[in-house]
Amino acid sequence: MTVAAPRLHAAAASSAAGTLAGFGLSVRFILRRNWLRLLIWAAVLAVMIPIVYTSQQATFPTQAARNAYANVANTPAIAAMTGLPYAAGSLGGILVIKIWMTLAVALGLASIFLVTRNGRADEEAGRTELLRGSALGRHAFSLANYAVVGGLSVVTGLLISLLALSDKLPAAGSWVLGGSIAGVGLAFVGIAALCGQLSSTSRGANSLGVAVLAVFYLIRAMADVNAHDTNVTALSWFSPIGWGQNMRSYAQDTWWPFLALLALAAAGCVLALRIETRRDLGMGLVPARRGPARATAFLASPLGLSLRLQRATLISWLFGAVVAGLFFGSVAKAMTTVLDPSNAVAKAFLGGSHDMLNGILGTFVLFNAMLAGAFALQSLSGARAEESGGRLESQLAGSLARTRWIGAHIAVAGAGSAVMLLLSGWLTGISSDGAATGTAMAGAAFAYWPAVLLMMGVLLFLHGFLPRLSVSLSWAVYGISVVVAMFGPLFSLSETAIRSTPFGAIPRLPADDFTLLPLVVLTAIAVVLAVLGIRRFGSRDIMPE
Amino acid sequence: MSPNIPAIEVTGLHKRFGQTTALDGLDLRVDQGTVAGFLGPNGSGKSTTIRILLGLLRSDGGTATLLGGDPWQDAVELHRRLAYVPGDVSLWPNLTGGQAIDILSRLRGGVDNAKRDDLLERFELDPTKKARSYSKGNRQKVALVAGLASNAELLVLDEPTSGLDPLMEEVFTDCIREVKAEGRSVLLSSHIFAEVEKLCDTVTIIREGQTVESGRLDELRHLHRTTVSVVLDRDASVLASVPGVNDLVADGAKATFTVGEAELGGVLAAVSAYSPHQLVSSPPSLEDLFLRHYGGVSKDAGTAPVQTAGVR
Repeated sequence: MTVAAPRLHAAAASSAAGTLAGFGLSVRFILRRNWLRLLIWAAVLAVMIPIVYTSQQATFPTQAARNAYANVANTPAIAAMTGLPYAAGSLGGILVIKIWMTLAVALGLASIFLVTRNGRADEEAGRTELLRGSALGRHAFSLANYAVVGGLSVVTGLLISLLALSDKLPAAGSWVLGGSIAGVGLAFVGIAALCGQLSSTSRGANSLGVAVLAVFYLIRAMADVNAHDTNVTALSWFSPIGWGQNMRSYAQDTWWPFLALLALAAAGCVLALRIETRRDLGMGLVPARRGPARATAFLASPLGLSLRLQRATLISWLFGAVVAGLFFGSVAKAMTTVLDPSNAVAKAFLGGSHDMLNGILGTFVLFNAMLAGAFALQSLSGARAEESGGRLESQLAGSLARTRWIGAHIAVAGAGSAVMLLLSGWLTGISSDGAATGTAMAGAAFAYWPAVLLMMGVLLFLHGFLPRLSVSLSWAVYGISVVVAMFGPLFSLSETAIRSTPFGAIPRLPADDFTLLPLVVLTAIAVVLAVLGIRRFGSRDIMPE
Repeated sequence: MSPNIPAIEVTGLHKRFGQTTALDGLDLRVDQGTVAGFLGPNGSGKSTTIRILLGLLRSDGGTATLLGGDPWQDAVELHRRLAYVPGDVSLWPNLTGGQAIDILSRLRGGVDNAKRDDLLERFELDPTKKARSYSKGNRQKVALVAGLASNAELLVLDEPTSGLDPLMEEVFTDCIREVKAEGRSVLLSSHIFAEVEKLCDTVTIIREGQTVESGRLDELRHLHRTTVSVVLDRDASVLASVPGVNDLVADGAKATFTVGEAELGGVLAAVSAYSPHQLVSSPPSLEDLFLRHYGGVSKDAGTAPVQTAGVR
């Protein structure tokens, strides 16, 4: 766009129709490339409404139970995480407390990732150049991108409203519920559009978008923590997530903040298109960062490289473990007053424990263990990603034994998950207001390390024998193990069946008594699977995608 | 290592992937201190052979020896003595090119800093950029700098110049000549005939997993005919009657034909009788040798004596 002649040419023909030529075609093209993704996002987010509604109806079956909940719901933890519980005495209000923030943030993230995927990522890969080279207006593809991703917010919001209506929730509140979530999603389409123009890489655009979302989330968290009773504070108006919250579905049902969200979406998209007019294809306003010209000796070692490749994963999961640990500890005591032990869901949640506080703590330890297990799988999947991405071949063409290479990846996943368990357990203990000690909870969490090792063993075994399916199959095994350990009693699974799954086998401290045998057995199975898998990996072909 | 052990010796190599046969009795030999060209179209088995030589794939039959060792059993030790440059380079997107060069070099045992700096300058590569932002050509340069900065006794190069511009190809050619002058060995798999003709002492041409031609390039040339183009003072179809003229294509006074080495003298004497205005003779190119095995023009040599121009 800096070349003078084509620019004059373009200016002459620069009717709105000119820059948008091929808009319809672009919309169809983007839909075709993304329909499954869009469908999954919309379906998964919307279906949370009936699921959460049903479980809350079961947890708080009577108005008396809801009133009791309303008296204790306004804790700093709830305010910080999910917003002010302004209508905790009604089923609609409880639904908002339980799911509104999750859905709004998830839809915001979906908007960021999808706008980047079809925008900056395509430009980075050179696909945009190919399209622009044909008879396509300068803004047609970008606008189509914003329109399709914006459409996801609209459809998701509509589905949410309709599902809420079908659960016989009040009509006005149900429409505001869907509208407020869709509005936040649309606002982040505008924000993501800007990020895609500012950064010159897709990773940069995604990071920038997620950072903006995190800042807006923290602003509204600070606002809600400092609120008097459940009154809106001035600070919450400095965050579009706050605007959505302040629509207050199932209470005041205010519509005008929705207009502000729409205005933000439109402003972001218009500004993005204006920047697009001014910049060169492939460039951003923020130049790509440079890095060191040399690798340190540590980075050039297999362990150092594996650690560097996992750095972002490690930091974000450790951060998640810290937040989860602190959150679990701070709500443990409050939960004993909320849960009704005669309720089926509550009973499943607490396991077989009679002592409610220890049951809750044991369940939180199980949550910590699941996080650590998920981290271990994601981290160790990095090894397969190196192979399928074609980067392993160049490394093995150097003087590097296959066992040493996979060993480095195992070390990062194993040590990282151990640190996660100890840290989140300890934080749960010290933030529990005396319900348990940090040391005891760190120990209780660390007891799950053999289950995490077993997940790694499964992945290593499959990595040897079925490399192409190893990652998805391991996640399936993980998913089933988690569901059985969490909800086994709800599906009327026997105690023995639950005890024979990885996460169910570990004694759920501090509710259960400690027994060493399951830990030893799980570790032994993990080692056998790992050894078989590594040996097979040592004798098979290297298989890039 | 004793000088008469070849750097690479492969005989009767077989490799199957499920139902497909990738290698079907392939032979390949690279003598020490020579540059060996390895030619074949996409899917003919070049990369599979190289991956077996690097111990990344396991062969299903035949023998392969690399620097006197077994490429599968002795992979870790052998790889200290070789450098590999793939044709499709994958790098870590969030590491810089310079970091990738160091990681790949140190995995082999070390990096020659002077050479590294010199190569970065010659290939005009900025090592502080993240690999994510590199073009195909720049990713290729990262692998080339990492491979060429080593003092390895064997270089295994799998279409190493794909994505490079002609100026950079020239830099690459110079680098390989230097490697050869130092007495090191090179296996160069390539698509580019000019590159192989410039650099290689021997050539192996493969097709569908089998070796169809191999030997010293100058010897192979002897086996094939010289191409002659002439402009005569009369209708050039008279040449059809001259013994030794093959593949004649006549177009008015212009003609192109091929001649075997033994008949060249007699044919030239006969042609001079038709008072040629122009005469250009060119030795058989590698491209001709190659196309001969792949259904190109030369394949019909000797069967079609006269063709009219335009058919060709």
